Amino acid sequence: MKDCALAAYSWVCERTGLDQVWTALMERHIPEAKGWVGLLYTLGSATMMIFTVQAVTGFLLATNYVPSPDHAYDSVRYIDAAVLFGRVVRGLHHWGASFMVVFAVLHMLRVYFMGSYKYPREATWLAGVGLLLLVLGFSFTGYLLPWDQKAYWATVVGTTIAGQTPVVGAWIANILRGTDGMGAPTLSRFYALHVLALPALTAGLIGVHLFLVVWHGISEPPKRSPGKVP
Amino acid sequence: MSAPQEPGCGCKAKPPENIGRRDFLTRATVALGAVIAAALSATGLGYFISPAFQRRDEDWVDLGRAGEFKAGSPALVEFTQRRRDAWVTSERRSSAWVVTADGKNFTAFDPRCTHLGCPYRWDAGSSRFVCPCHTAVFGPDGKVISGPPPRPLDQYATKIAGNRLMILPKAEKKA
Repeated sequence: MKDCALAAYSWVCERTGLDQVWTALMERHIPEAKGWVGLLYTLGSATMMIFTVQAVTGFLLATNYVPSPDHAYDSVRYIDAAVLFGRVVRGLHHWGASFMVVFAVLHMLRVYFMGSYKYPREATWLAGVGLLLLVLGFSFTGYLLPWDQKAYWATVVGTTIAGQTPVVGAWIANILRGTDGMGAPTLSRFYALHVLALPALTAGLIGVHLFLVVWHGISEPPKRSPGKVP
Repeated sequence: MSAPQEPGCGCKAKPPENIGRRDFLTRATVALGAVIAAALSATGLGYFISPAFQRRDEDWVDLGRAGEFKAGSPALVEFTQRRRDAWVTSERRSSAWVVTADGKNFTAFDPRCTHLGCPYRWDAGSSRFVCPCHTAVFGPDGKVISGPPPRPLDQYATKIAGNRLMILPKAEKKA
């Protein structure tokens, strides 16, 4: 049995270089950081872990959700009331959404205050900024989907704010809403963005971000310079 | 048969002799991660496969007070059936023939002839159900007396709740 597993593993290794990929990704050298400073380096991984949870729970919620004004609210209530672990899965998605923003911002603050965005890691920073915007896009579009009073009026306010843009505001608002005022097209539009467009873009940009992290290596924590403080 | 060990392929598993800090932390991380992953996966899996074990609601319909049905004279009762399909509730107008011999035991028949689905009627003169389409005749117990039907009238489950007659309008085929 063990020989068999080993043989299968060798087979895969020889053909994919899996062991070397593993070494490059998981056993790469990282800077020494002690105590709480070390913990700050986990914020990016934490954000990605939450994204994974969001993707899985999002898929599960979509199995019982209908993005249509006459059924959206009822289907969400059905998830809460009738589906096994429905409240847990929706709760995970709900709280995960908030903490996705929290951890992405904390991660960004770590990078900013340690100066980790500086040469040669500017591209990593830009990809990260793109990811933060995508996370906010998820928040904005996902907030409407329960189709309750809070969701509805928050989106009215949000799209009206977008409508205040000089000159092109009315167009932007109508593009966001898919119709004059709010309606069925708004809900299905937000749903399509939330479950199709944004996840694909996010997965791609995470790939770029992670590649750059591994490519450049992780920056050292800043050191106090030996020179005098003026 | 032993696995071929290629140079440059780090497939060799080191036997654990002294567990150092690094090994301990690695294992602790993996173990903790496995617990978290298992808890999340079990939740998600339960959610996804729960339709396999879900109990369906039975949609019993109230047909009115049981005492109002007269023994020996079947009544065609119209009713509205509310069906819950997860988050969709639909209403359907339908009817059933209610037969009672003693005012205590009730039988409810699907109102469609088992031949080709025509609505049959009660012929009080002969005390039989007759279908106008192909001259099928059924007794008050639903059994075929004459004509082409392949089986007796389909029945609905009945029960008395309080003093109300309830039926479950889902045809049970009588072979």
